[in-house]
Order: sequence, then C-alpha cells, then structure tokens
Amino acid sequence: MRWGMAIEQKRCIGCYECVLACKAEHFLPPDIFWNRVLIGESGKYPAVTKLIYNIRCNQCADPACVKVCPTGATYQRPDGIVVVDEDKCVGCRYCMIACPYQARSFYEDGNAEYFPGQGLTEHEKIGKTLYPHEVGVVQKCVFCKERIDAGLAAGLTPGVDREATPACVIACPTKAIHFGDLDDPYSEINQIIKEKKGKAFHPEYDTQPSIYYID
Amino acid sequence: MIGTRPYEFMVKYTPQRDWIEGHGILIAFALFFGGIAGGLYLVSLYFDSMWGMFVAWILAMVTGMTDMAHLSKPMRFWRMILKPKSSWISRGFIFIWLFLGAAAIQMAISYWAGGTAAETVFKVLGGIMAFGVAIYSGFVVGYVGAIKLWNSAIIPILFVIAGVTGGLALLMVISVGDSILSTDVAVALRAVLIGYAVCLAIYLWVATYESTAARDSAMRIIKGNLAPVFWLLVILLGIVIPIIMLFASSATAVLIIAGILVILGGVALRYSILKAGVYSPLVPSE
Repeated sequence: MRWGMAIEQKRCIGCYECVLACKAEHFLPPDIFWNRVLIGESGKYPAVTKLIYNIRCNQCADPACVKVCPTGATYQRPDGIVVVDEDKCVGCRYCMIACPYQARSFYEDGNAEYFPGQGLTEHEKIGKTLYPHEVGVVQKCVFCKERIDAGLAAGLTPGVDREATPACVIACPTKAIHFGDLDDPYSEINQIIKEKKGKAFHPEYDTQPSIYYID
Repeated sequence: MIGTRPYEFMVKYTPQRDWIEGHGILIAFALFFGGIAGGLYLVSLYFDSMWGMFVAWILAMVTGMTDMAHLSKPMRFWRMILKPKSSWISRGFIFIWLFLGAAAIQMAISYWAGGTAAETVFKVLGGIMAFGVAIYSGFVVGYVGAIKLWNSAIIPILFVIAGVTGGLALLMVISVGDSILSTDVAVALRAVLIGYAVCLAIYLWVATYESTAARDSAMRIIKGNLAPVFWLLVILLGIVIPIIMLFASSATAVLIIAGILVILGGVALRYSILKAGVYSPLVPSE
C-alpha cells in the first residue's frame, strides 16, 4: 500500500479551500502551511499561461529528508507517508535543506496569533489542546494520517470514503484532487494518472514523488 | 520558504535560507570550525606541534558546540548520533566525539609517555578522526541533491583543502615564537594556498557546466550579490595577499597578519557557498 495523489490543474480554480481545510484540520499556527496554492503566469504576451499549482509534501517513495535526518525523527511509514516525530526532532533543519520541493515548514514562533495583539481566538485555544504543535521543530503534510488510520480501522477506504480521506481532497469544490493507493493497479487514482498522463515534479531528483500533476 | 513570494518560488531560483540567515549563520561557522579543527590537527601531527594539537582539540569542541547552538532543541543533541548509516550530520557528530576522545588520549600519552607504541596508535586514530572531522562538512552539503551548487564531488575535497589551509595558517600564528617551525609552516602554506586556489577555481568552473541551478549559484558568487565577499575576502584577502606576503617576508608580523587573513578567507568561503545555494524553480518554464 502506498498512498498518493493526482491533482488536475485544469480543474483547480485557485480558491484556496484545500489550504484552509488543512489549516482547520490540523489547527496549523500562523505562517505554517502544509499545503499551498501557487498562482502565477508564465510566458510573454500574447502567449501567456496562467499557472495554478497546489503543492504539499510529495511523500516521496525514496525521500531525501528521511536519509539526511540525523535523529530518525523523520521516517517513512509502511504506507509511504513520511512523518516527523516531534519528540525526536532536534531542529537542525537538514531535512528542509534536502527537500527539493521546499515542502517543509519550521515552527518557530509559538506565540504567534492569527490576529496579532488581540489574543488567541477560540479556535486557536482549542487547537493548542486538541492538536498541540511543538515549537522549534519541523512540520509537514502527513496526508491526514489520522483520518486514514481511523478510517482503515473502521473498515473504510481512503480516497473513496470521506471520513478516511485527507481534508484537502474532500474540501476541493471542483474535485481536482484525487487520493488513493498507488500500489493498487486498479485504483481510481492509478487509472487517472495513466489515462491523463500524470507527471511528478522534478523526477530528476530520483525521490519518486507520490503526487502527480495532470495538465 | 517563508519570505519567498509564491510566484518567485514557482518560476525562479530561490536561495536557501535556513542554513545562512538568522540563526542559520552558525552553520557557516560550524563548517569552518570543523574544517580548521581537522586540518590543524593533521598539520600539527606532521609538524609535531603539541600546541597545535591542543588548539585543534579546542576547535573541535567549538565545532560541536556551534552545531548544538544552531539546534532549536539542543538538549536532544545525543539523538544526532543515531543515524550514521544514512545521515552525514550523524556521521560528523560521531567523528567529532571520537576525535575528542582519541586526541585527548594521544595528547596525554605524548605528554607523559612520548615515544611509546601507544602514542603512535593514538596519533593514527586521532589523525583518522581529524580527517573525518575535516571532510564530513563537505559531505553534509555535498549530499544535498536539491541544491546543485553543493551537490558536487569536489566540495568535500575543497573543504578538506580549505581546512588544511586554515590549519596551517593557525599553526603558523601559534608557532611564531619558534622561528624554524613557523618558517617551515609558512613554506607549506604557500604551496597549499596555491592548491586551494586551483581547487576552488575548478569547483566553480565545473559548477557553471553542471546544471542551470548550479550555474545560477556560481554566477551569484562570481559576479552577483556575493561577488564582493568572494573576490575581496575569499580571493584577495584570503589567498592572493597572503601568498604575496609569505613570498615577500618571514617576519613575525607578516606571518601573523597573513595567517589571520587566510583564516578570515576560510570563513568567507563557507559563507559564500552556503549563501549561494539555490533551489531549482518548481515549474521549469522560464
């Protein structure tokens, strides 16, 4: 089993709903983003192309971050998801340096507020209890492993059942993000990648990303 | 990635920040101290300078402390020895600890029981570990495939040569009271400085041909925003002027000034290389 995503860029409308869903799901502090929507333009007039990329940790099958981590804090689960054990991270940031996709964040300011000077909102207060993030360690997208684990334990199928699927996937209003098992040749995600010729970013780094982009 | 506008991140080369800005500057010093500690111990073994070995031991300690000062969780430092099979930071940390142990025993034996077989054994062990301390920092950055300027087979060699150069410069300063030793070291330093300059030139020349990202980085060093640091501190003050000074005179003041300039150049080299490291754009469309 190896979880992966396929993102159809033509379907993405740049609404940032996936970013907000991720923020809400994990109670992410200000300035910390586990996924991002990048919007820009490419080319010169009149041949200009609008670029919209929804990026996050690529959960590489051969992750550079795992290899360089000196403590073993960054490790890969059997299902391919790369996670950070906050209790083991020393904050050397070697994993951030090694990631060719710059997909990791460092949680530096534990006192940051969404509305500076106005105190924590109720949501932030609840988040600090329900989903505490350790200050001074590296963070990243974990494909909502909590939802996947709980869903599998309940007999659900990630990518098919909402409760077992990452928050960003189910939040997307245009169904631009697909999630599923890359090791299952008959899974929907594999069919989509095959039919629509999904491509991973920077295959030259040999990290074998688990996220495919479809033009 | 904080501080980078999304559009730039998509289509432009973005400099790494984590290991050079703010607290990250400590990494440049850790790379420098590691190189000079290993280099100084090796050249001190060659010239049989007990003071040099002692200062190298202190500098290795400073290397470890600088590395730890960079950590946001320094009390967990012991965890950094847990992954020597894959992580160069882990290997480097082990090299530092083993060097500190081997060199301490060697110096004690040399002081109280010099000329014994045990001294030779620990000199060899200390030398091997010192080489590890000098070279590991090169592999730490050289292993990073994401930053093409660093991802070079030459960089560990360059860092070792830079470490030996700094080691010779420091030994020359330490031994100014011994005119025979300091003159011998100065002669060696002249030759090594020329080799260091050649290695640096090859490294940058190769970088301009390796990939567009490496070329972008090399250009930042040669004629971009890092050019003043590189040409003034690394090349002129760190290599050219010391070579001229060492050929011109062997007066005590000249040796001290030349030594300090070489050491400053070594710091500037690590800074330039770290600062120039860039990531390839996410979308290689422009």
